[in-house]
Amino acid sequence: MPAVEDAIVLKNVSKTFQEDVENPVYVLKDIDLTIKKGEFYILLGPSGCGKSTLLNIIAGFLSQTEGNLEIITSNKNNRNTRGFVFQSADSALFPWLTVEENISFGLKMKKVPLEERRKIAEYYIKLTGLTGHGNKFPDNLSGGMKQRVQLARVLANEPEILLMDEPFGALDAMTRRTMQKELIRIWRETNKTVIFVTHDIQEAILLGQRIGIMSIGPSSKITSSYEIDLPYPRDITSIEFNKYYRQVQAHFEDFEI
Amino acid sequence: MTVAKEVTVNKKVERKQKKRKLKSSFLLKTGVLGWLLILLVWTIVSYFSDPLFLPSPLATLKGAIEIASDGSLFIYMGYSFARVLVGWALGLIIAVPIGLLMGTSKWVRSIAEPIMNFVRFIPPLAFITLFMLWFGIGEQSKVFLIVYATFFVITINTFAGVLSISEDKIRSAKIMGATKFQTLIHVIIPATIPYIFTGAKLAMGSSFMAIIGAEMVAAKEGIGFMIWNARLYFKTEWIFVGLVVLGLMGYFMDRLFTFIGRKFLARYKVVS
Repeated sequence: MPAVEDAIVLKNVSKTFQEDVENPVYVLKDIDLTIKKGEFYILLGPSGCGKSTLLNIIAGFLSQTEGNLEIITSNKNNRNTRGFVFQSADSALFPWLTVEENISFGLKMKKVPLEERRKIAEYYIKLTGLTGHGNKFPDNLSGGMKQRVQLARVLANEPEILLMDEPFGALDAMTRRTMQKELIRIWRETNKTVIFVTHDIQEAILLGQRIGIMSIGPSSKITSSYEIDLPYPRDITSIEFNKYYRQVQAHFEDFEI
Repeated sequence: MTVAKEVTVNKKVERKQKKRKLKSSFLLKTGVLGWLLILLVWTIVSYFSDPLFLPSPLATLKGAIEIASDGSLFIYMGYSFARVLVGWALGLIIAVPIGLLMGTSKWVRSIAEPIMNFVRFIPPLAFITLFMLWFGIGEQSKVFLIVYATFFVITINTFAGVLSISEDKIRSAKIMGATKFQTLIHVIIPATIPYIFTGAKLAMGSSFMAIIGAEMVAAKEGIGFMIWNARLYFKTEWIFVGLVVLGLMGYFMDRLFTFIGRKFLARYKVVS
């Protein structure tokens, strides 16, 4: 029995992409991971280490070849538990819908009445700083704004778990910093459980309470874990921050990844 | 002060440039220039030729007035246009669902794709005799021929459109609670609309090709019949009237369709 405060429990999760049953090539091998309710967890690792694959398994987009994935939720029908923010807003958003229509898409699918849909969309437009952009089409927004729309669209479904796949990877440094601050603000306001995938050490320490470092594939694993015991909002120029930064950086230097 | 002067001078230059731009853009945009050129060359060449071989633009116009005076030109146009419209619309209604099915179901794709890649190389004209045998010499066989001519272009475009949808869109709809049917209606179809639109536009061209062939072989009315019939009366100018009318019909149908697309499907970014 998992503890009450756990949100996601993975046991011995492995994934192979090759069909060859005799000699399978493992992308992921024996992943054990428990994430608590309301935790901000970071999956950190180089490109190609399988962190996105792991996130896709947790999202339910892919199924694991071996092992067990458990999503613990108070929600009975399991329909609303997870939300996913994709790396590319351009490929994830619906360009034929306005910002507001994008945000209320999930609610429309669940046949929430129009009036209520409007109200909820309005709330999340405000929360994500999109006020005044509701009637625009995504193509008329900047990269940062589009990611805000994606975040609002996911939050409008009120998921308990937020899965984010390098959502700020394509943004310029300044927009990125703003979005990181905004994400922390929204996370603290909404108390979601977050799994955030990144290959940026600074971003990992800036956002996460706990960082899991993945080894390079094949047969990727979570090799080590760091607790970041710093209060939010974090100051990237502080001595404590740099201590953590050096520590994590040293990890990558040692393993020559 | 010098700065202010420079600004005014710049403005004058700008205004002059704007005027020049307006004049040239009018000629370029309306495409009048090209038409005038063609008419000129046509007139000159026909001057040195036998009117039976190459009638001049003026003779063609006279011929047009001649056929139009008893209304037969408009009746022929109406027939050809109606056949194209009905066949094309029917083709669209049949082809789009099949294209969507091919795009969404691996089973349907694996069954239909090889057959389609074989049959689509058989031109509609090759089927005229068979279609007359199967559907009679009336309107049915001609409409079915156009359905055939439009079917593959629209199906293949629709199918390609579905395949081009990013996985992320389908996944995001799924995780936001959309059922498979909702995903089809609210994601797959809207994302495919530009492709369907392009396919429908291309199919218009093939419709005209098919109908003229059919009308030449087996019809007592229509532009194809008119062109074919002209040879009996040594009326070469009627052939030219037919060609011009075909071009005009296609042109205006295309413009109208594009206009409708821009007006009502703007949010789907249909290209024209």
